[in-house]
Formats: sequence, structure tokens, C-alpha cells
Amino acid sequence: MKRVLRLLPALAVILLAVVGPLFAAHSSTEPVTAPYALPGPGTPLGGDQVGRDVLSRLLIGGRDLMIASALIAVIVTGLAAILGAVAALRPRLGAVIEQTADLLILLPVALGIMVIGVAWPGSGRIPVIVAAIVLGTPFAFRVAAAAAAPVAASGFVEVASARGERTLSLVIREILPNLRATLLTLLGLRFIEAVYVVATASFLEVGAQPPTADWALMIRENADGTLLNPWAVLAPSLAIAVLTVSVSLAFDVLTPQARNRMVTRL
Amino acid sequence: MTNVLEIADLSISTADGHELTRCDRLTTGRGRIIGVIGPSGSGKTTLLRSIAGALPNEAPTVRGSLSVLGKHVLMLPANELREFRRRHIGFVGQDPASRLNPRMRVRHLLAEAVGHKQFNAQQIMTDVGLPATEELLRRKPGELSGGQQRRVALARAFARRPDVLLLDEPTVGLDAVLRTRLCELLRSRADDGTTILLACHDMPLIDELADKVVELGASAAVPRVLPERRAQQSTGEEILRVHGLSAWAGFRHRIPLLHGVDFNLAARGALAVVGVSGAGKTTLARAITGLHRHTEGRISLGREVMPLRVERRSAAQRRRIQLIPQNPLGTLNPSHTVGATLSRPLRLDRKIPARELPARITSLLATVGLAEGFTERYPHELSGGQRQRVAIARALATDPDVLVCDEITSSLDAATAEDVMNMLGELRGRQGLALIVITHDLGLAIRHTNTALVLEKGRVVRAGVTPDVIRTSDPPLRHVPAHGDHHDSA
Repeated sequence: MKRVLRLLPALAVILLAVVGPLFAAHSSTEPVTAPYALPGPGTPLGGDQVGRDVLSRLLIGGRDLMIASALIAVIVTGLAAILGAVAALRPRLGAVIEQTADLLILLPVALGIMVIGVAWPGSGRIPVIVAAIVLGTPFAFRVAAAAAAPVAASGFVEVASARGERTLSLVIREILPNLRATLLTLLGLRFIEAVYVVATASFLEVGAQPPTADWALMIRENADGTLLNPWAVLAPSLAIAVLTVSVSLAFDVLTPQARNRMVTRL
Repeated sequence: MTNVLEIADLSISTADGHELTRCDRLTTGRGRIIGVIGPSGSGKTTLLRSIAGALPNEAPTVRGSLSVLGKHVLMLPANELREFRRRHIGFVGQDPASRLNPRMRVRHLLAEAVGHKQFNAQQIMTDVGLPATEELLRRKPGELSGGQQRRVALARAFARRPDVLLLDEPTVGLDAVLRTRLCELLRSRADDGTTILLACHDMPLIDELADKVVELGASAAVPRVLPERRAQQSTGEEILRVHGLSAWAGFRHRIPLLHGVDFNLAARGALAVVGVSGAGKTTLARAITGLHRHTEGRISLGREVMPLRVERRSAAQRRRIQLIPQNPLGTLNPSHTVGATLSRPLRLDRKIPARELPARITSLLATVGLAEGFTERYPHELSGGQRQRVAIARALATDPDVLVCDEITSSLDAATAEDVMNMLGELRGRQGLALIVITHDLGLAIRHTNTALVLEKGRVVRAGVTPDVIRTSDPPLRHVPAHGDHHDSA
């Protein structure tokens, strides 16, 4: 029961971001009040730089951020898990994957996103997602490979390779189920990292473009008017913080469940 | 003077009421050695773990009382329990190798156990029969043989001189020389005031050492499968011929593990491979099954020469040779039920339709003396002996011609080990199965195999009919080397 309580915040935030647009009272692009107007009737969080309703933009601006982040987290963790298990099973191939990963780790993510954004203008979020996957997988790969190494050396994997299982079957049937706890934790961490990357990209005006409602973009657009209507900056900042904290809490709760079946150790 | 250990009416069961262990009464003072005996699955390990304050994960129900040095260990808060364990308890589990940090060198593993950097490595290593060479201290657990890993784990438990020493099957995987040395060491520790609990299938050891014996009852009694039966004579036709098989580790610096091993295995024959710890027995098993990466030589199965690496062998060749590995914890995938573990090799063959699977699984389980109810269990719900039976059933699932058994009976009690070997003997007769039995138990080798070879430093030093080989090979198997244990080359 206590576990369910700790899952609630994340479920609530995700639900709100997904169905939020249905509850937006005003359009996200049309001005309805004075620029940087303080909260008043009909606009509980006031207006932004051109007088659009901050609350409506907040309700609309979370969905794309979250979908993009979730997509990045799932793909990065999935790729890393498979590559990590393959590297643990096939040391020579593993050495090549590891060197490639080391090379990619050297590239700064923010710079990578900007280069892709400049080289591929007007393409929206896709370059951001591609860059986050390419540059995020090496880190996750390192973790997955380290966790897979002892599993790959155990007797049941030897028996399975001796009966002629293919590498993919060894990875999926024998190794990955034993990494559940590690991979769940990793997925949570990669989601939070992805939120930061996507938000940073929006802030740098790569990805989401004005006048789209987007939490990170809102922070940037309204930064000049912080003193006039602080809610225009505070509300989207808090939204991002609540999203990452609640998701991290949720993954903490989910992880030990996956550990139960592992052989007990003193 | 309080008692070191006091147990009254202790019963530990899982949340759903399945009793894991039960011990009515046990009190003991300092310097005593207690033997804990009972068949596989009777709760020996659980009793030892609960004395260390470590119960299985699924929040079990505890009734009765258990106190160690006057403390109720099962009720201590986590930080006090940790402190208590650090000061007073030494524990070596059934599979000690899995508790050695694979990234640490032997020297650091020992330093960590002692608690400071300055320590007499020489003394600690000699106590457990390891040579205290710089070279060995620099190795990591993965570079030690199974027996050496076990001894490093024992050395770690001894190093801190705890008040209570809990040993789960300490002699498994030790050869006769080391076993004798361990006996002397335990006796001298007990004389210094350490209380020792031994959970053990090794009855001679208990008879020799224990001041008191606790017998735990059988919970789910395992049916005795087959009557005692002598090993069949082989038919003369050879199923497996190995010629000039060499193996080494590492690509840059070759560390030789096997040197030109030759032997033939007759169809329905049984070959014992014996030798001290580190002689290359497990490497031989892995080379025959094609798992060792660096090998040369020639292996023929029936009339055809087989590729050395498992990837290059045909499906039929792989099916015909099956391995049962050594480590009782790692041998089954912890995420798969027994049913899933057994159905995979059946289905991989593509001969067995899905609707016949349950019946095939039940009959495989029956062959190894396990009831049908085991299908849904996970490995952590099985005792060491039950796990090994499932591993044997898995190997039998592909209907192999050659079974490579790497120390498969070492975690079973004497009666169960005999049953398992008799069962394998029966299969030899019925299905034409040939066995390669890697073992430390010379008696078992004499009773259940017809030919034997003795490995020493990766070379075959003696081969022939089992009783002759073992009787005439006294020096390498029983003689105590003058300086440490220089048989251990890998």
C-alpha cells in the first residue's frame, strides 16, 4: 500500500501532462491578457511575454517533452541492454563496441544537439531525439555491460551455449531477465537525463520552436519578465522539477520488486 | 559464562506456511564444534544463515528463540547486526566463490577481511593450504580454480578470528590433503575458543570433529529412486576420442592449462577424471563441450571428427554432448522456473510438440527423483541438492550420448549422491549414455566408473582401469607436498 502511495505522484504528473491539453481554458497561441499580467480572474497564473495564458500553456506544454523523453529513455536503455549483454558474451566484439562507446562519450551532448539542429533546421524534435539516443547510449552501455559480465560467466549461460543457443537467445532468455533490477534503475535515470537534454535543447531553441507551448521554451521566453510575473518562469520550472523527482521516486519503488527472485545472498 | 549459542523451539517458515527449518533445542559454549546434518533440503543452510541474522528475502515467519552471545540476532536493528557480524561471526556459504568480489586481487580480499593493510599473508594462506606466493596474491578470483577460490573464501572467514564460525559444506571441492589440513585447522581454532557450526554431508568429517550433532528432519522427503547397482561394463565401441587436446588462457601471454591430453571413452562407459584442485579438470570439461576459447587437438564423436568450438559444431553434435557445470548456485538461471529450464532444451530440438511438453517434463523430473510440483519453482526455492538434480534433468532432456559431469555430487549427501550416480548408471545401460565424471571422491569414482585418468598440472599422469589407477596413484592424490601446494598451476 505504501508502495502505491509512492507511485502516485509520478502517475498524477504523467496523467496531467497527457490529458492536460483537454483542460486548457484558452488557446496556447492567442493573447488573452496584458503582457506579463499578474494572476487575475480567468488567468490564475497570469500572462506571459505577449499576454498568453500561462496556465493553459503549462497544461499543453508538457506532453511532447514527456513523450520525447520516454522514447529516448526506452530506446537508450534497450539498446544499451542488448549491446551490453552481447559485449559480455562475445569479448572480441565487445572490445570494438566498448571503444566506439568510449569515443562517443567524449562528445559533449549539448554541442552535438546544436550541431544537428543547425545542420537540419526546422525539423522539430527529431534531431534532438536522435542526438540524445546516439550520445546517451554509450553511458548506459557501460552500466549494462558491467552488470552483464558476471551473469555471462555463470553455469547456466555455459550450458545454454553448449546446447547451441544463438547469441540473441542467450541475451534475451538467459541474461536480460537477471538484469531486471539494474535495467529498471537505468531506465529511470535515463528518463530524467532525457528530460534534461530535451529541455536544454528547447531552451537553446533547437527542437521545439515558438510559438509552441513547451515548458523549457516558456522559461526562456519569459525570463526577461521574471520580476513582472514570476509565475511565467516559476510554473514551468517547477513542472520540470516535479516530473523528474516523482519519476525517480517511482523507479525506486519499482526496482526491489524485480530483485526478489534473485538467489539470496548473505 | 553465558552460552555462545542458545536455540529453543526455533521454526522458520515462509509467509505461505512452508517450513524452511526447525531446531528444537541447541545450546553450546565456547570452543565447541557442532555438526548440523540432515538430507538435502532439510534446512541446514537456513539454520546457519539465521544464526548470522540473515533470513531469506520473503519475510519469513519466525517462532521460538535464537540468541548468539546473549543477543537475539533476528531482532537486532540493521546497524547493530552489521557491527555484531563484523566482530563475532564468520560465515562461509555453500558456494563461497560467488561471494568473492571478482574485481579484487587475493591480497586485497584478505586485507579487507583482516581489516587493516598490515597482515601476515603467509600465515593466513598456509593455514588453508595455498602457497603464499606474490604471484597468487596478485590474482583475481576469476584466475583461480574452483578449489582455490573456496580456500580464499575460507581464509577470509578465518582471518578475523570470529567467536562463531559458520561453515556450509566446507569440504566440498577439497581434495583429501586439503580436507585433512582443514580438519586440523578447525580443531585448533576450536581449542582457541572459537565455536564452529558445520553444516555438512561429509559424515566422516562430522565423526572426526564434532562434539555434538544436530540432525534436521527431512521436510519434503526425496524419494530414493533406484536400488544399488554396479556400473555396467562398456560395449567396447568408442563414442568419444580425444587426441592431443591442449588448452591455454589469454591471447597475449599464454598460460597453459592442458597439455596434449589423450583419452578414449567407450559407449556406455564411465570415465573418472581425478586430480588435485587446479589440475585442469574443469578446463577439460569445458574444452570437450567446446566452451573453452583457446584449444587445439582433435576430438572425435562416434566416427566423425568434431570442430573444437561449440559454434562450429552441428546441432546434432551439440545435442550429443551435454555439460553439467560445477557451481551449484550458477548452474540454473534464477529467472526461470524449473519447467522453463527443462522445456527449452526439449523445444530446441523441435522434436517435441508443445502439448507433450508437460508430460516430458514430469518424466524428466521423475528420472531425477523430483515430484511434479517442482515445475513451478524458481531456483532460489530449491536446496543445493535439488538444484543439481534439475541440472541433471536439463542435460538429459536432449537425449545425449555423452554427459560431462563436473563435480555434480559434491553438494549432495552421501546417500543422495549414491542415488544420483546409480541413476546415471541405469541410464548408461538403458540409453547407451557414456559419462565423464569429474570428482574428488575417490570412493565414488571406484564404485561408479570403469576407467579413470589422473590429471596433474594439465597433463594426464596416469590412466587405465579405475581401481588400479586410484590405488597406484597415491602420491599425487594423497601425499602432502612439502612446500605449500605447488600442484596449483591454474
